[in-house]
Amino acid sequence: MSVIELKNINKYFGTGTAKVHVLHDINFSAAKGDLIVVVGPSGSGKSTFLTIAGGLQTPSSGEVIVEGKPVSELNKKQRDKLRLNQVGFVLQSYSLVPYLRVKEQFEFVRKIKPNGNLGHEELENLLNELGIESLVNKYPGQLSGGQTQRVAIARALYANPEIVLADEPTAALDSARVIEVGKMFKELAERHNKAVVIVTHDTRLMDFADQTYEILDGRMSVRKPTHITNNQFES
Amino acid sequence: MYLALKEIFHEKLRYSLIIAMIVLITYLIFILSGLSTGLAGENTQAIDSWGAKSMVLNKDANVNLNQSLITDRQAEDANLTNREAVIGQAPVVAKHQGSPKESSSFVGIKNDQFIAKNLKIASGHKVHNNRQVVVDDQFKSDGYRIGDKIQLNSLSDKYQIVGFTKDAKLNVAPVIYGTLSAWKQLRGMENTNAFGSAIASKNVNYNANNSQLKKYSIAYFISKLPGYSAQNTTFDFMIGFLMIISLIIIAVFLYILTVQALPTYAVLRAQGIPAAALVRTIMGQSLILMAAGIIIGAALTLLTSRMIPIGVPIAFNVPMLSMISVGLLFMGVVGAAIPARKIATVDPVQVIGG
Repeated sequence: MSVIELKNINKYFGTGTAKVHVLHDINFSAAKGDLIVVVGPSGSGKSTFLTIAGGLQTPSSGEVIVEGKPVSELNKKQRDKLRLNQVGFVLQSYSLVPYLRVKEQFEFVRKIKPNGNLGHEELENLLNELGIESLVNKYPGQLSGGQTQRVAIARALYANPEIVLADEPTAALDSARVIEVGKMFKELAERHNKAVVIVTHDTRLMDFADQTYEILDGRMSVRKPTHITNNQFES
Repeated sequence: MYLALKEIFHEKLRYSLIIAMIVLITYLIFILSGLSTGLAGENTQAIDSWGAKSMVLNKDANVNLNQSLITDRQAEDANLTNREAVIGQAPVVAKHQGSPKESSSFVGIKNDQFIAKNLKIASGHKVHNNRQVVVDDQFKSDGYRIGDKIQLNSLSDKYQIVGFTKDAKLNVAPVIYGTLSAWKQLRGMENTNAFGSAIASKNVNYNANNSQLKKYSIAYFISKLPGYSAQNTTFDFMIGFLMIISLIIIAVFLYILTVQALPTYAVLRAQGIPAAALVRTIMGQSLILMAAGIIIGAALTLLTSRMIPIGVPIAFNVPMLSMISVGLLFMGVVGAAIPARKIATVDPVQVIGG
């Protein structure tokens, strides 16, 4: 059963002659346990797709449904709540608060949202799973790119969301790290039973996907599973 | 507040510099306020000690005690009760061999009226005859002693100091209390119909019953002391400008820091952290910085007040300093309003792209 569904989504920017049709009739759904990769070159509309899916932007037309509830019916505060409780974001950069140690990143979430997060033991297990248990006293500036990404994933999972949306999670990572991150997201979907949606131009992540979509000029299509080792959509 | 404190402790140097700026401004405001209060006090100490509510002066004196002269005829219907006291005031220079000259204000009073009766003697005794005076303790600080015979202006007659009184200054000059007869002599008005310079009354509605005399409230009388209002206004302006400068400093610094941290705030918004929590962070930071600056500034002011030479006219009015502190905190909140608005309206989409 789908936890997130996008129905006939269209998005326009600008008006009059400057009007740009960024997303064309997007239909998309993801269920728990799915790892879905959405690939596309820069400017194709994949980030717009992600922000609409996460309730950060409203579509010009169409409907986003999260766990059976239309997002359009939610006000700003309720959409904040949705992102805090049901949607975890993993972003390309600035994902972590630079002046908080790794353990404080979780503490901060707990202060904002005292209930419904992972318990102490569950968090420890997650940190062990991600291999970052020894980094808890470090600041983000003291972490490598791969470590930062793993901490960002842990931070997104700490609030125990049903859906994880990741934006270019392998940017600036070498091939070995890309495989590591790909495996991590795969495990995240399967073991933690989350719906994971990754938007990226890095086609190497397609190897780990249950389903791959491609966005080109705002049109989304299902991409057949092929093993591509080169980064086809270099930006 | 959690994020606010964490950021301040993580970026110690950056925030220490901001606090240092606030400390300097707070310190300057406190010292200026102390000087303002001290100088204002030296203008009015004597008047305050009388406890009068109104003053009657010659209506042509332009509310100036120095220029006022009331004659016996003008005062004949004055109906003086035990709530009124006649004052004869004259600027004088006091001299005594071996001590510095003192530019002073001679105040002639009557022993049976409330000013003389209520005069607090720190040492010695009250005036018993026309050749005795009680002087402000500044004379004591400058080396004058009880028993010294001082010369006033160029009069050949000398006046013996029989007592010291504390906090007796009028228009910044130390007061010499003597008799009204001595005042007449100093003004060269012996054997004339001079009655006094003014009538001080404890009655707000006192009426001297003469068209040549005019009653003023004590607050108005004080505001018209030569230089008093100009001096206070100058200090008030300086303090006001410093408050505005503190507002600008906190606003500019917090704005710059906020703009630098916008991508982080955008991500936090994307992650569902409520805008109100982030606004509270910036407000909290501002209040912490201002409070730290005020506390350190107050401590420095206290230290200064202990070390400052006795002659410097500085006095600290704690309720006023508390109000200034609250005002500075308020400036901090106002200063944080602009960056807070920036945070409240940050668009997470910008950091994700789209």
